Amino acid sequence: MKLLMVSVGKARYAVQADVVMRILDPAQEADFHLEGSQAVFRGERFPLIDLHAAGEEGRGLSPLYLLLEGARRRAMVSVDGTEAIREVPAADIAPLPPFIFPRPGRAFRGVFSDGQAPRLLLDQDGIL
Amino acid sequence: MIGPGAWLISFRVGGAEAALPLGVVREVVARPPLVRVPGSHSFVSGVALHGGVALPVYDLRQFGPFWSGPRPAPEGGLAAPGEHLIVCDWGEARLALLGERVDLLEPDGTDPAGRAGPDRRCAVSREFVSDVVRRDDEPVVLLDPDRLFASLGVPAAGPPGAMEEAGEDDPAGR
Repeated sequence: MKLLMVSVGKARYAVQADVVMRILDPAQEADFHLEGSQAVFRGERFPLIDLHAAGEEGRGLSPLYLLLEGARRRAMVSVDGTEAIREVPAADIAPLPPFIFPRPGRAFRGVFSDGQAPRLLLDQDGIL
Repeated sequence: MIGPGAWLISFRVGGAEAALPLGVVREVVARPPLVRVPGSHSFVSGVALHGGVALPVYDLRQFGPFWSGPRPAPEGGLAAPGEHLIVCDWGEARLALLGERVDLLEPDGTDPAGRAGPDRRCAVSREFVSDVVRRDDEPVVLLDPDRLFASLGVPAAGPPGAMEEAGEDDPAGR
């Protein structure tokens, strides 16, 4: 599966590439702005998902926004950078044991080896 | 109570000398790189990839109920030097505990928790102690894996296939 590698603070995550509709740079998008917990792009409002808060990461100075489309809804996810798109065999992604989460809803579904350290794969079904 | 000749794996955590029955310990490995998982329990230090499996790593120093008093301050930061993973199989689940000075232990004798109580110097909550054993006259608390793992949220050891039925899913969404 093709994964988009992103950074959020010091954390490094991956997002399934086929759910990423756009990568928006606010500095280059005149039709983009934030209103509280929503992002507004070309007049359409999207819920804003803040992975910085989830991971207790400091917010970067120049965030990018991923427009993700899941089965139920679309949302904007703020990240600090995009690194690459990489093909990772599905068999190389180990599922996270559900019992490590206190609640059923979760932001991450699996982990895979990415050089020196493991990298988490975002669970778009869990956050969208 | 443990029988004579019952081997244990002892380790040091938060200043306490603790041990687990050898039967629940799969292996002991040097601490590999961990990735922290946002949204997980606060006492889950992170996840390691171990033989292609996502291995949750628990830091008992961060698990408040484990201690009878205030939680111990991490010695030398969150990743103490010489820290190892004590990898345990518990039913269908696999997990690891962080520990230092991991050793194989054949106890000299027992000092039941019910009689003498956990040693006064031991800060581990009585709830998780099934016995107190002696090594060179020093007390080592034998942890009760049933109670400990249940309190950490690890599913009870059950028949094979229990975890699959409990909904362990496919990260690729298949």
